[in-house]
Amino acid sequence: MSSHYEAPIRRPLIIGDKSYHDISVDVAAPVEGKANKLWWIAFSIALLAFLWGIGSIIYTIGTGIGVWGLNKTVGWAWDITNFVWWVGIGHAGTLISAVLLLFRQKWRMGINRSAEAMTIFSVIQAGLFPVIHMGRVWNAHFVLPLPNQFGTLWTNFNSPLLWDVFAISTYLSVSLVFWWTGLLPDFAMLRDRAVRPFQKKIYGMLSFGWTGRAKDWQRFEEVSLVLAGLATPLVLSVHTIVSFDFATSIVPGWHTTIFPPYFVAGAVFSGFAMVNTLLIIMRKVSNLEAYITEQHIELMNIVIMITGSIVGCAYITELFIAWYSGVEYEQYAFLNRATGPYWWAYLLMMSCNVFSPQFMWFKRLRTSITFSFIISIVVNIGMWFERFVIIVTSLHRDYLPSSWTMFSPTFVDIGIFIGTIGFFFVLFLLYARTFPVIAQAEVKSILKSSGEKYKKLRDGNHE
Amino acid sequence: MASNKKYWKSVEELKEKSSIVDTLKQNEFFEEIPTDIFLGDKETLETSSTTRRDFLKYVGFTTAAVTLASCEGPVVKSIPYIIQPDDIIPGVAEYYATTMADGFDFANVLVKVREGRPIKIEPNKDANGITNARVQASVLSLYDSLRLKGPKANGAEISWSEADQQIIAKLNEVKATSLPIAVLTGTSASPSTKKLIAKLNETFENVTHVEYDAISESAALDAFEEMYGTRALPDYHLEKAEVIVSIGADFLGSWQGGGFEASYSKGRVPTNGKMSRHIQFESNMSLTGANADKRVVIKPSEQNLALIKLYNAVVSGILTTEETPLNDTIQKAARQLIKAGSKGVVISGIQDKNAQLLALAINKALNSEVLDVNVTKNIRKGNDAHVAQLITDMNEGKIGAVIICNSNPVYTLPNSAAFVEGLKKVKLSVAFSMQDNETAKAVQYSLATPHYLESWGDAEIRKGQYSLIQPTIKTLFNTRQFQDCLLAWTGSTATYYDFLKETWNNEILGGASWNQALHDGVFTAEAVQSDAISLEVDLETAASQLAEVKGSDLELQLYVKIGLGDGQMANNPWLQELPDPITRTSWDNYLTMSKADAEALGATNNHVANGALNGSLVELTLNGVSEILPVLIQPGQAKGSLGLAFGYGRKQGLKAEMQTGKNAYAFYKDFNNFQPNVSLKLVPGEHEFACVQLQNTLMGRGDIIKETTLEIFNTVDSKEWNIVPVVSLDHNEVEAGSVDLWDSFDRSIGHHFNLSIDLNACNGCGACIIACHAENNVPVVGKEEIRRSRDMHWLRIDRYYSHQEDFAGDNELKANGKGVMGFKNAMDTLEDPSENPSVAFQPVMCQHCNHAPCETVCPVAATSHGRQGQNQMAYNRCVGTRYCANNCPYKVRRFNWFEYPNNSKFDYNMNDDLGKMVLNPDVVVRSRGVMEKCSMCIQMTQATILKAKKEGRPVNTNEFETACSIACTTDALVFGDVNKPEDTVKSLAEDKRAYHLLEHIGTKPNVVYHVKVRNTQES
Repeated sequence: MSSHYEAPIRRPLIIGDKSYHDISVDVAAPVEGKANKLWWIAFSIALLAFLWGIGSIIYTIGTGIGVWGLNKTVGWAWDITNFVWWVGIGHAGTLISAVLLLFRQKWRMGINRSAEAMTIFSVIQAGLFPVIHMGRVWNAHFVLPLPNQFGTLWTNFNSPLLWDVFAISTYLSVSLVFWWTGLLPDFAMLRDRAVRPFQKKIYGMLSFGWTGRAKDWQRFEEVSLVLAGLATPLVLSVHTIVSFDFATSIVPGWHTTIFPPYFVAGAVFSGFAMVNTLLIIMRKVSNLEAYITEQHIELMNIVIMITGSIVGCAYITELFIAWYSGVEYEQYAFLNRATGPYWWAYLLMMSCNVFSPQFMWFKRLRTSITFSFIISIVVNIGMWFERFVIIVTSLHRDYLPSSWTMFSPTFVDIGIFIGTIGFFFVLFLLYARTFPVIAQAEVKSILKSSGEKYKKLRDGNHE
Repeated sequence: MASNKKYWKSVEELKEKSSIVDTLKQNEFFEEIPTDIFLGDKETLETSSTTRRDFLKYVGFTTAAVTLASCEGPVVKSIPYIIQPDDIIPGVAEYYATTMADGFDFANVLVKVREGRPIKIEPNKDANGITNARVQASVLSLYDSLRLKGPKANGAEISWSEADQQIIAKLNEVKATSLPIAVLTGTSASPSTKKLIAKLNETFENVTHVEYDAISESAALDAFEEMYGTRALPDYHLEKAEVIVSIGADFLGSWQGGGFEASYSKGRVPTNGKMSRHIQFESNMSLTGANADKRVVIKPSEQNLALIKLYNAVVSGILTTEETPLNDTIQKAARQLIKAGSKGVVISGIQDKNAQLLALAINKALNSEVLDVNVTKNIRKGNDAHVAQLITDMNEGKIGAVIICNSNPVYTLPNSAAFVEGLKKVKLSVAFSMQDNETAKAVQYSLATPHYLESWGDAEIRKGQYSLIQPTIKTLFNTRQFQDCLLAWTGSTATYYDFLKETWNNEILGGASWNQALHDGVFTAEAVQSDAISLEVDLETAASQLAEVKGSDLELQLYVKIGLGDGQMANNPWLQELPDPITRTSWDNYLTMSKADAEALGATNNHVANGALNGSLVELTLNGVSEILPVLIQPGQAKGSLGLAFGYGRKQGLKAEMQTGKNAYAFYKDFNNFQPNVSLKLVPGEHEFACVQLQNTLMGRGDIIKETTLEIFNTVDSKEWNIVPVVSLDHNEVEAGSVDLWDSFDRSIGHHFNLSIDLNACNGCGACIIACHAENNVPVVGKEEIRRSRDMHWLRIDRYYSHQEDFAGDNELKANGKGVMGFKNAMDTLEDPSENPSVAFQPVMCQHCNHAPCETVCPVAATSHGRQGQNQMAYNRCVGTRYCANNCPYKVRRFNWFEYPNNSKFDYNMNDDLGKMVLNPDVVVRSRGVMEKCSMCIQMTQATILKAKKEGRPVNTNEFETACSIACTTDALVFGDVNKPEDTVKSLAEDKRAYHLLEHIGTKPNVVYHVKVRNTQES
C-alpha cells in the first residue's frame, strides 16, 4: 500500500508493544469474551427505548399523523429534523473511510470500521423518517419509479423528496458494500480463531470465503480504492440533496443557495462528534486505547473545530444575506429565527455549534478525553437544534400572518426520536460484540511503520 | 399462410375407391379400443383405490363446492327503486325553491336535492334570496341525529292519535274553565298559520297568540308603530345610500333580521368614482363596524347620547359647543348626512323605543330614500310586553294552556325559571319542537315537528312578497307539523297542504298559478300601495327620556354571533366550527374586553406552547345572576364595555361536543342588549379557546391586502396605489410576473378559470365557508383540533387589525424601521393591534397558481395542474408527505391528520348514518393521511361543461359557478372563464384594482383580488 517509512515527527498510531498476534487478540477479545454487566445494562436501556419507539411508530401508523404535534402551518418538525440529523451523523463514516483513504490519512484505520458502522446504523434511522412521516405509509412504494399498469403514472422527478429517495438509498448501499468489503479479512480472522463450529460457520459465511491469497489482497485493495472513489462524491451529494428539500422551496429561511455546502459541513461536523461520542466510550470499554489513541481524538476534534467554524460562517452569511437582500419576508424570517418565540432554540444552536467547538483551539482541551466527550454531545444537541430551527422557525411564520402558529411536540414525537436513538444503540452494541470493531487487517499494515515500538526501534529512540 | 400441399398418408390413397381409405374415413379408431380387456381385468379394477362411484362423488362435491363458493360475496344492502320516480335521474341534482323561516332567519332559498336527499342550500337569486352562514348550514340540522323523533308525553313516547286525543280532551277542559289558551310562537310571518291560530280560537275560544323573538326587536317595532301606524320593521335600501351612520346597529349581522349585506355592498364598491361612506358608532367590534370607513368606539350608554346629539345636529340644527372628540365626529357625521340629504341614512341598534324613534326621525328629516316605510318587513314580530305579561299570568294561574311552537323560551328567556314555574301551573303545556331541547323537556307534551325542508308552509317576509315552503324530502322521523296538528285539533280532516293551497288560491295568488308560485318559491303581489301614515310623535320627550338612561363604569353589550345566531342550531357542527369573522374563534362565546380594562382587572390572553390561545376567567355578575366566563381581549372594544354573544351554553338535545360556551340570555334582562351595572371579578383558572388565527395584525405587509383611499383611487394612476412588485432581471427592474423560470403554455384554448375577490364587497360574513363545507364534504374537526391549528376549512376569511390607526400607518412604521434594530423594533411593535384598529378581511382559498410551488415538490405527482387552470389533487395518489403544504405560500392546504369520517373521536356529522346523508356524492370523502384543498369546485365546472355539451350549446355567459361564488350575496366572489370575454370575471381580472396575492413570488395565481378602497372623506 504505502511505504513503510514514516517521518519521526509523526506520533505513533498504535501505542504499546503490540505484535500482529496481539492485535488479533485485542480485536477479537470483545467478540470472543463474555459481555459484562455494563453492556447488558446499556443494551437493555437501548432496547427499551427502541421498543418505545416501535410502540410510538405503530401508534402513529394506526391512528394518523395527527398524534404528532404538527399543524396546518408546520407540516414538518421533529420528523424531518430527526431525518436530517441522522443523515448528517451518517456522514462521518464515509468521509473517514473514503476521503481519508484517498488522502492516505492512516489515522483513519483505527476508527474507520466503527465510523462506517455508525454511518450505516444512522442512515437506517434516517431512512425511517421519510417513510413514517408519510400520511399513508402503506403507499410508500408510490415514491419509487415502479412500472405500473396506469401507463403514465410516474413519480415526479422535479421533487427534491424523490431525489432524497435515490440519494439515501444509494448512500446506504454504497456504504454497506464498502463497509463489508473492509470487513472480509477481519471476519476471516475471527473465523480462523473461532473454536465453536457455529461461530466458525457464521463468520465463514460473513467473510465470503476469504482465503488470504495474494490475489484476494490485491482485489481487496483495488475494490477499496474504487469504492472510495465512488463514495467520495456521495459524501458531498447526499447532504447536498437533503439540503435541496429546503433550498429549492419558496419558504423564506429555506430558499437559500448556501444550503448545500452549509449542510455538508454541518453533517461532517455532527458525524465526527458522534464518532467521538461512540469511540471515547468504546476504546475504554473494549480496551482499545492502544488503537484509538488520544491522537485520534485530537485529530477528530480538529475536524470538528474546522467544520464548526464553517457552519458558524454559514450562519452569519445567512443573516448577512437576509439583511443584504432587502427582501422583507427573508429579513423577517431571520429576525424571527433569532428573536422570535423560538429564540431559545436559535441561541442553543449558536452556542453549541459555533462557540463550543472554538475551545478546540486549545491543545489541552482538545486532548482531554472528558472534554472531548462533553463537546461531542453538545455538538450533536446543537446540530439537532440547527435542523429544528431551520425547519420549524421558517415554517411557523411565513408569508401570510393569518396562518402563523407554533409547534409543540407530543409524547409520540419524542417517543419516536428516543426510539431511533435506542435502535441505533441496539445495533451499535450488537455490532460491538459481534464485529471486529477495528479494521485489524489494515491496522496490521501500519504496525511496522506507525506502531510505537517499531517507530522507537527505527528512530533509535531506545530508552 | 394457407397451403395447397397435400399430405399423403399411405400408398392406398393413390388407388381410386380403395376400401382401406374408405374404412379409415369412417372409423376414427381403425384399431378397436380394447375396452373389454381394460374393464374386464377385474383384478386391476379392484386394486384401484378410486372407484367409479368415488369419482362421481368427487365430481359432484367439487361442482357443488365451486357453485357454493361463488354464492359467497359481500352483501351491500341497497334498496332499489321499485318504481323509479320519473324526475329522479341518479347523478343529476334537482333544485326546489323553498323558504327558510325558523323565526330567526328568513330566506328564499333553492335546495339542491340529490337522489331524494337535500344536500345543499343556495340562495334563490330570482327571489332576491340571501343566504347567510346559518341558512347555508341549516341543511345539516335536518340530519341532526338528536332530533325529536316522535311525540312524547311527559318524556314517554306516545302515538300521534293518543297525543291528539289527550290534548283535545285537555283543551276542552281548559275551554270549560274559560281560562285563556296561549299560543307562544316565534315570528313565523306565515299568513296561513295566522289563519289557523284564528281557527283554533274559533274552536276553543279565548286563544291568545303571543309572538316572541329570542333576540328582541320590540323597541324598533314599537317605535315604527308609534311613528307609522303598523307594527313592522322598515326596510333599508342601502345601495342608495351615500352616507350611512350606524349607532350600535350590526346590520351586516342579524340586526332586525339581517339581510342587508347585498344592498350595502352594492354601494361599497367604487363605481364611477363613488362609494358610500359608512360611519359606525359602537362599543363591541361588530362585523359592521369592522367594515366601516370610520369606526367610533363608545360605550353603550354613550351611544344614546351620540344619537341624541346627532338628532339635535341634523334635525334641530343645534350644535354642541363642547369640544370633545365624540362631539367632533358627530358634527362631522351630521354635516355629511345633511350634505347627502335624501341619500343619507341613520340606523340604530339601541334597544330603546326612544332611540329608534329618534333614528326614524332623523331619516324622516333627511327625507331619506334609503328608508322604506312602505314595503315593511315581517321577520320580527315579538312583543316584549306580551311575553312578560304571559309569564306573569302563567304564574298567577290565569292561563289554562300553553302551546309553544318554534321557540325555546326555557333556554332563551332571561327569567326562564319563572317561565318553568309558570308551566307547572297550567293545565296543559305543549311544545312543538324539532329538537329535544330545554322547552321540550319542560312541557307535558313535546311534539316532534319536521325540519323546514320536510314541511309545507308560507311566509310573508316583506309586505306583499309571499314565499312558499315546500318539502324536499319525506319526513325522516315520526313528525307532524304544528299546522297539521292545529287542523287535527280543530276537527278538520284536511291536511295543511290542502289548507295552504286553499288559502293561497283564495287570498294571495289572486288567480295566479299555484304551481308557478311553488316553482318560483315566491309570489309578489301587485305593487304595495304607500299606505304608511306618518304620525306625530313627541320627539323632545323621547330625546329627554333617552338622555336619562344611565350608564355605569362597566356596561355589558350583548350581541349575536354570525355562527350560532340565537342558538337554535347549536347542534350544527358546521356552525360551531365556523370561526367568528371578528375574533376568528370557534366553538365558544366569551366576554370581549378592551385591553385597558383587561389590564386593570389583571385578565390576560396568552398562547401556550403549540400556539393555542388561553384566556383568564372572570365572574360576571348582574343583579344577582352570575356566570364564569372567559375573557377575550378584543381590539376596538370600548373601554368600560363588555361584549357577550347569545346562542351558546345550551345543554339539552346537544351532543357533548356542542355544549359550548355559556348562556348569555341570563343577562338579557328586560330584553335589552345593553346592561349597565355589571360587575367583574377575576377567578382562578384559564379557558382554552379554539382560535384559528393567532397573529392578528398584518405586520406592515401591505402587499398582502392592498388598500387605498377613494380620493387617491379617483385621482391617481393605478400604478401608484396598486403597485406591481418588481424583480431584478439583468440589472433592470422588471415586473415580477414577466419573469418566468418555466416554459409557458398556451392557455388561450378551452376554459381557463379565474376567481375574483373584491375586498370592497367582501364583508367577511362567512356564508362561503359553510357553502364550501357543504359542497366539498369538508370535515369538522372539533375544538381540540382547532386548538392545534388543524382546521380543515378549504376557504378561510383572514381578518387583520392594524397596529396604527390604519394599515397605511403600519406600512409607514415598517418602512421607517431603519437598520437591524429599527426593523426589529418595528416588527415587535407591529405585533400588537391598535386600541381601535382598522380591520381588513381577505378570503383565502387555494390560489390555483399557474406556477404552483406545491406541484413541483410532490414526489408522487399527486398534485398537478389541470388544463383549465385548476391545481388538482389526486387523493388516491397522495402519500401525505405534506411537502406541498410547507411550500404553499398561502397555507391553504389541509392535511387529514386523522380519519375524520366514521371515527367516534370525531363525533360530528360524518360519524353517523343520518349526518352522512348531507354528503355531496359528487365529491369524494378523503381518508386520513391525504392532503386536500380547494378544487375550485371542479365537480361543478365539469357538470356545467357536460350539461352544455349534452344540450349541444356553448357554455353560457357566467354559467360557471363555484359553491362560494353562489353563496356570496355581495358579489365579492365572482367565478368564471377568462377565455370567455363576456364572462364578468374576465373584466374583473383586468380591472385596475386587480392584483395577485404575493405576486412577487411569481406563482401566477388564478385567484384575483381587488384593492380595497376606503372612503376617508371626512366631509
